[in-house]
Amino acid sequence: MSLKNSPDQWGWLSKLFHWTTALLIFIQIPLGFYADSLKLSPFKLDIFVWHKSLGMLVLLLVIVRLLWRIKSTIPTAIAGNALEQLLAKLAHGSMYALMLALPLSGWLVSSAANFPVKLFWLIPLPAISGPDEALKSLASEVHEICVFALIIILVTHIGAALWHHLQLRDNALKRMWF
Amino acid sequence: MAINQTGQDRLSRLFATACIALAATLLWQPSLATEWQSEVDNSQLNFAASFQNLPVNGRFKTFSVKCTTDQAARPVNLQVMVSVASADMGNMEFNHEIQALDWFNGADHSTAIFTSDHFEIAPESKAGVDYIAHGKLQLKGVERAVAVPFDWHQISHKQVAMRGELSLDRSDFGIGQGEWATGEQIGLAVRVWFDVRMVITDD
Repeated sequence: MSLKNSPDQWGWLSKLFHWTTALLIFIQIPLGFYADSLKLSPFKLDIFVWHKSLGMLVLLLVIVRLLWRIKSTIPTAIAGNALEQLLAKLAHGSMYALMLALPLSGWLVSSAANFPVKLFWLIPLPAISGPDEALKSLASEVHEICVFALIIILVTHIGAALWHHLQLRDNALKRMWF
Repeated sequence: MAINQTGQDRLSRLFATACIALAATLLWQPSLATEWQSEVDNSQLNFAASFQNLPVNGRFKTFSVKCTTDQAARPVNLQVMVSVASADMGNMEFNHEIQALDWFNGADHSTAIFTSDHFEIAPESKAGVDYIAHGKLQLKGVERAVAVPFDWHQISHKQVAMRGELSLDRSDFGIGQGEWATGEQIGLAVRVWFDVRMVITDD
């Protein structure tokens, strides 16, 4: 398996980025809802430290992933009509946007809430805003809207991958598989 | 009779002298001492709790400092009253939580009071510290001996800036009980610092 992408196959670095972010997002979404539902306790704070740590890891991964994507060849689009092509582009673009917007808005919530955090109990995360109640509410709203949008797009994305694989029996899922 | 009269004279003279002395004492003492009162708008009382050893800053919005200085302009009495309910940690949720029973329990103990007992002139080696006020801090129904080091800087003959910093152990006052008591996540040491502008009261 080659490191770099080819016209008909994703390279292993792109696959690694794809599947690690996928795994992290599948942990992050339920973890976020769970942490939010808890009554204040040391346990809740620990869960939030995990959520923030993994979220910042996603942000870092997505930035590197985007840089790698810009630098590399993208496999040619799977055959489909113009609408399908457009929808696929839109979905992929939105997922990248949301993978940036979610950790950034979360970071802003944490900062505006005057809540410091050491990522993985190790690295202090600098605040990107001073304490600000209004900004905190706004960022929370954005964070929440983004997560619902991401859930909808993820369902579509997974549905589309399965539809390509099981129904159309094309290469869409295979070329991202190992 | 004559002897008696002289005795009475002496007695009344003595009484008059005592009265004058007493009046003088009463009249003189207050004029030697100066009463200072904090200006709300120009004063700050801040604290920093910690989470994962990182500071979480807060402040008390409502508090009052009264200080008396003697004829040598040295502080001889200090009283600080702090509205516990006015604690602001920059977040409505925190502000609500810290008033709970496990933390400040502001509903039952709304005011914290520091009352000085005696003052120590700080050793020269302590930079930015002129005096140390030794006294008692009543907080959440607990009274503890606390030393408050401070800098007393006269801005004008009617204005003084009082600054200082100290560290308190929240567990001494039962602040943060139950599962919060260990100090593992939220540290036990709380830094307190103040910058108070004081003016002479008119009375």
